[in-house]
Amino acid sequence: MLNEQLELLVALQDLDIMIKDIEDVKHIGFDVQGKEKLEEAREDLVSKINRPLLFNYEKLKTRYKRSIVPVKDDICLGCFMRIPTSLITRGRSDQDVILCEGCGRILYWYD
Amino acid sequence: MQVIWGTKKIEKDTPMENRDLIEFFDESLFISSLAAKNKNDVFEELVDLFVQAKVVRKKDILLEMLHKRETLGSTGIGKNVAIPHGRTTAAIDVKIAFGRSDKGISFDAIDGKPVHLIFVVLAPPHDENNKYLPVLGKLVEVVSEKANRDRLRKVETYEEFIKVMSGEK
Repeated sequence: MLNEQLELLVALQDLDIMIKDIEDVKHIGFDVQGKEKLEEAREDLVSKINRPLLFNYEKLKTRYKRSIVPVKDDICLGCFMRIPTSLITRGRSDQDVILCEGCGRILYWYD
Repeated sequence: MQVIWGTKKIEKDTPMENRDLIEFFDESLFISSLAAKNKNDVFEELVDLFVQAKVVRKKDILLEMLHKRETLGSTGIGKNVAIPHGRTTAAIDVKIAFGRSDKGISFDAIDGKPVHLIFVVLAPPHDENNKYLPVLGKLVEVVSEKANRDRLRKVETYEEFIKVMSGEK
């Protein structure tokens, strides 16, 4: 079971990207309206995420294009640094929210 | 060279051809006859393909993203086609799943017609090669042609499907 807080953070990042993509997608020809609905959904999500985690997410957002990055083959796809073995087991178990020791981004185990 | 996807102009070195779309499909992400009878079940059925093909690990994250996208307006673009799409942290590359429904599914499409052809387009948050929007645009372009839609309505195998998508006669 994916850590609930991590799941909420991932949903938040996906939502932030969707809000950012609205204009591009509209130009392709999709019916896109009501950005406010997504912003309301964002508020709702934010209220469920614990403060220190949210603060960290927002802080990372000012530094990087994405705060949460996948881990593939034990490599952080944000900075391409190998994740220490001790963190891999904890990360894969989905019990903790793990930060990359190289770049500080929040890690999401993709595989 | 300037390429126009829909009404948006994107500067690119080379235009995307039909055959360039092929790399984003996979036989494991193809269903010639969807069992789903409604929109939610279509999402479930096609998202299951992504999970089984190990394109994504967690189904819920993807479903959440697709449902959120629908709150902005239906991805049923009319003419019996729907293209649910989005970027998600759960995806590592751009991938497209396809499902065909014989009976048609109510999708709140812009023309109110049932949807028979469904493409789910997934992309990672920031794909370095910026493939997502051109792929989405190209897909819209391909299905805008009636001849392609008519052929897609009849495809039974993945090979037939790829022939249509690559522009082969």
